[in-house]
Amino acid sequence: MSRSLPAVAIGCLLALVALFALRPGSPPTDAQRADALAHELRCPDCAGLSVADSPTSAAQEMRRQIVELVAGGASNAEVRQHFVDRYGDWIRLAPSSPVAWLIPFAVLIAGVGALTAWLVRRPSPPAPTPPISADERRRLREEAEALDA
Amino acid sequence: MRWRWLLIPIVVLPLGWLLFTGFSLDPRAVASPLIGQPAPAWTYTTLDGEELSSADLAGRPYVVNFWASWCAPCVEEHPVLSAAWDQHSDDLAMIGVLYSDSRDNAESFLDRYGRAGYPTVVDESGALAIDFGVVGPPETFFVDADGIVREKQTGPLTAESMDRHLASIGIGR
Repeated sequence: MSRSLPAVAIGCLLALVALFALRPGSPPTDAQRADALAHELRCPDCAGLSVADSPTSAAQEMRRQIVELVAGGASNAEVRQHFVDRYGDWIRLAPSSPVAWLIPFAVLIAGVGALTAWLVRRPSPPAPTPPISADERRRLREEAEALDA
Repeated sequence: MRWRWLLIPIVVLPLGWLLFTGFSLDPRAVASPLIGQPAPAWTYTTLDGEELSSADLAGRPYVVNFWASWCAPCVEEHPVLSAAWDQHSDDLAMIGVLYSDSRDNAESFLDRYGRAGYPTVVDESGALAIDFGVVGPPETFFVDADGIVREKQTGPLTAESMDRHLASIGIGR
C-alpha cells in the first residue's frame, strides 16, 4: 500500500492540473473583445501596424467604432465585416481563411521532399578501384617488357 | 536529366514575373469594395461653416476628393480638380473632404494654391474616410447620378485620368 502512495499522489496532482486547465473560462468582457479585434485589424494609414498599436487619428476612430459596435451587441464577425465592407480583406492583418496558414508548411514539406528525392536519385560516386595484386603487377611488368623487346 | 531544363520555364520565369509585377504595384492602391455599391451617406460642415449632406446631391453625379494640406500630391492635383470644376460645374457636384488636418492649415493651403469654388467638408474624426475606405490622401471617388460609386483614383489625378473617371459617371462624353 505504502509503495503505491507516490503514484496515487502524482495521479491526483495530474488530475487537479487537468481540471484547472480545462475549467470553463469566463467570457471576455466587451473591452477585452474590442481590444482583441483592434489587434486583428490593420491601421489604414500606417505601415503594418494594427489599429490597437497605432496612434493615428484613423486608428483612433476605428477603435472608437469597434468599441461602439461591440457595445451595440455586434458579434466579432460582424465587427470585422463592418471594416471589410469598406476596405476589403486588406484591412485584416490575419488571413481570413485558416487554409492560408498551412501554405508555408506545405511549401516547406514540398521543398524537403524535393531535396530528399534529388539526394536519393543522385548517382552514387564510382567505387574506388581495388589495388592491383602482386601477381597482376608482375604480369603487367612482363607484358611491358615484352612490348619494349 | 533533360527535365532539369524545364525548371527554368516552370519555376524561375513565373517567380521572376511574380516578383517583377509585385514590386511594381502601388501597395496603397487597394481595390475598393465600394465600386458598384451605393456611396456612403454623410452630413458634415464645410470650411465655410455650412452644413452639407450627401442627400443634397441626390440626382447629380459627384466627385469626392479626400485631401490634406500636408499631402504633396494634393498640391499636384489641385489644378486638375479646379479645371474640372470650372468646366463641368453645371453638370456635377464636387466635394473636398479634409483628411486628418486642421481648418487653419486647409485655409492656408487654399489661400496659397487657389480656392477652386467647390466646398470642402471637415472630417474631424476620420469617420467619413473610414466609410469610404480611405488609406491616405489624395483619394478620389466618382459617384454617378444614382448614387453608385463607379470609380476610385488612388494618388494624384491628372487631366487624362480625371477625364476618364468623369466619363464613367456620364460627364464629358
